[in-house]
Amino acid sequence: MHRRSAFLDLAVVAALVLLVGACDADRERARVVAETTAATSTYTIRDDFGDTLALRTPPQRIVSLNPATTELFFAIGAGDRLVGRTHFDRYPVEAQKVPDLGNAIQPNVEAVLGTQPDLVTLYASASNRDAAARLRAAGVPTLTLRIDHIADFQRAVPVLGRVVGDTVRAKVVVDSVTRTLDRVRAAMRGVHRPTAFWKAWDSPVIAIGGGSFLSELVDIAGGRNIYGDDPRPSFDVTIEDVVRRDPDVVLAGPESGARMRAEPAWRALRAVREGRVLIIDTMLVGRPGVRLGEAAVSLARLLHPGSIP
Amino acid sequence: MSATPRPTLWLVLLGAVLVAALAGLAIGPVRLTPLEIWDALAGRGTVTAVAIVRDIRAPRVALAALVGAALAMSGAALQGTMRNALAEPYLLGVSGGAAVGAVITVALHAAFVLVPIGAFAGAVAAVVLVLAIARAGAGRPDPRVLLMAGVVVGAFANAVIMIALASAPADSARNALWWMMGSVAGATWTHVGWLTAYGALSGGALLVLAPEIDVLALGEEAAAALGVDADRAGRRAYVIASLLAAATVAAAGLVGFVGLVVPHLVRARAGHRHRAVIAAAGLAGAALLIVADLVARTLRAPSELPLGAVTALAGVPFFLVQLRRLR
Repeated sequence: MHRRSAFLDLAVVAALVLLVGACDADRERARVVAETTAATSTYTIRDDFGDTLALRTPPQRIVSLNPATTELFFAIGAGDRLVGRTHFDRYPVEAQKVPDLGNAIQPNVEAVLGTQPDLVTLYASASNRDAAARLRAAGVPTLTLRIDHIADFQRAVPVLGRVVGDTVRAKVVVDSVTRTLDRVRAAMRGVHRPTAFWKAWDSPVIAIGGGSFLSELVDIAGGRNIYGDDPRPSFDVTIEDVVRRDPDVVLAGPESGARMRAEPAWRALRAVREGRVLIIDTMLVGRPGVRLGEAAVSLARLLHPGSIP
Repeated sequence: MSATPRPTLWLVLLGAVLVAALAGLAIGPVRLTPLEIWDALAGRGTVTAVAIVRDIRAPRVALAALVGAALAMSGAALQGTMRNALAEPYLLGVSGGAAVGAVITVALHAAFVLVPIGAFAGAVAAVVLVLAIARAGAGRPDPRVLLMAGVVVGAFANAVIMIALASAPADSARNALWWMMGSVAGATWTHVGWLTAYGALSGGALLVLAPEIDVLALGEEAAAALGVDADRAGRRAYVIASLLAAATVAAAGLVGFVGLVVPHLVRARAGHRHRAVIAAAGLAGAALLIVADLVARTLRAPSELPLGAVTALAGVPFFLVQLRRLR
C-alpha cells in the first residue's frame, strides 16, 4: 500500500508536468494577415489571433501595448494618436510622453479601458488572449500582431498603414528598410562569412538561435550564426558547447562583452583570446522595427570593417 | 549495524569521489582524450584544452564536491541535533533567507559579485531570526520550536521573494530565478577557494562537536545526565551547520535535497556515531553532487538543467528506496 501510493503520487506529478509542458508550447504561429477592402469605407483585417478587425474610420485614440507597434505608429506619422503605451516603449523619444499603462504581456485591462481607446494593439502571445477577449467584450477593437521576424515586420507595416489610413507613408517606411537590407545583402554577396556566437545573456549563458530575427540580421550582414540551425529564438547553452563550435567572433552587448573579457572560463574561446569580441549597440538591435536597416548596416560594419561606406 | 564503520567504507567513499571527479573532468561537449586531460591539468597542450580543463571543468567539479560535502555534513549534523530525520538546512530558514538576500541584491542591480555576499547576509539574518523566534516562543531552543520557527521564517522569506520578483524588471527576475535554481556553471577558482576555507573551518568544527551531537541525539534527559548543556550545544551545532549551508547557497544557489537524503544513505553503513556519519556524509555528498552536475550539463546538451532540479529529481527515488527499507 505504501509503495503503491508513492508511485501513484509520482505518476500524478509526472502527468501534471507533461500537461503543463504541452500547454505551454506556444503554438501561435504567425498567420498570414489577410485584408479585404469592401466597397464602402469599411475595411476588415484578420490579425494574428485570427480575430477580425473592422474599422469604418481610422482610429484616433490608439493604445499600443507592443514596443514594435509603438515605434511603427510614430514612424508612419500616427504617434500623436497614441493615448497609451507599455512601460518598455522608449523609442522614439516622443513615445515617452505617451501615458505608461504597464505591461505588454497580461496588460492591465482596466487601465487600458480608462483611456477610452478606439483601438488597442497587442503582442500575439498566448498570455494575451484573455486581455484581447476582454477588450473586445467591452467594445474596443483589438489588433494582435506577432512581429518576431523581419518578414513579420514587412507584413505588419502595411497593415498598420491601412489601419491609420496612410498606406503611402507606410509603404515609404517599409520600402526604405527593405532597400537598406537589400543593399547590405548585396554588398555581402560572395564574402567570406565569419562564424558568430551571439551572447544574449549571462547566468545562464543564453545564445541567439536561428528562430530570432537577430540571426536573420547576422545572415544579412555577412556572418553565420553558430546556432543558426536551431529553430528556437534563444536558449541557454554551456560555455563548453560554444567552445566546441569554435566561433570566429562573439557578438555581445557592452556589459556582456566586458564580462567575457574578465571571466577566465571564456578564455577557452579562440575568439576571446584573439580579441574578436564585437560589441553591439543593444538599443539599435532590440526588436524588428524601423531601424532594422541601420541595425544590419552596423552589424555588417562590425563583421566586415570597411565594407559598407 | 555496527558501532564503528568498517575501514572499507572509507575506501569505497574516497574511491567514489575520485571516480566522480575523473568523470567530471573527462566528460563534456569537447572530446578530450585522457592524455590530453592529464596534460591540460599540468598546463601542457593546446590553449583551448588547458582552458577547458582548468578553467571550466575543474572548478565546476571542485565546487560541486565542496557544495555536496558541505550540504551533506550540515544535514547530518542537523538531523542529529534536532533528533529529526527530516531536518535539513533548507527547512530551517537558511535557504529562504539566502534567497531573499540574493534576490534583493539582484533587484538592486548591484554588481554580480555582490550576490554571494547578499545571499550569505540574508542567510545569517534568517538564522538570527529563527533563534530569536524560538527563544521568544519557548524560552529555550527546543528542536521542535526551532523547526517551527524555521518553517515560519522560510514562508516569510518566500513571500518577500515573490514580491521582489513581481516588482523587478524582467531581466532581474530571470537572473534571480536562475540563481535560485542552483548551479555551479559559473564556478571559478575564487569561489572554490572561499568555500574551501570556510568549509574546512565549519566542517572541522562540526566534526569536533560530533560527540556532543551524539549525546543530543539521545535526548535532553540523557544529555543533562551526561553533563552536556543541551541548549548551548544545540545552538552551536545549529548555527555552524546553518552557516555552512548558507555558504553553499552563496556559492551555488539553492541545491535542495542533498542535505536531507545523503545522511540517510550513509547512516546504515557508517553507524550511529556522528563523527563517522558526518564525515561519511561529506564524502558521499561530494561524489553525488559531482555526478549530479555531470547529469545537469550533459542530459539536455547544449542546454543545462538547473542543479537543484537534478538533485530533487534524483533524490526522490533514493528517498523512496530508503523509506521502503525502513518498513
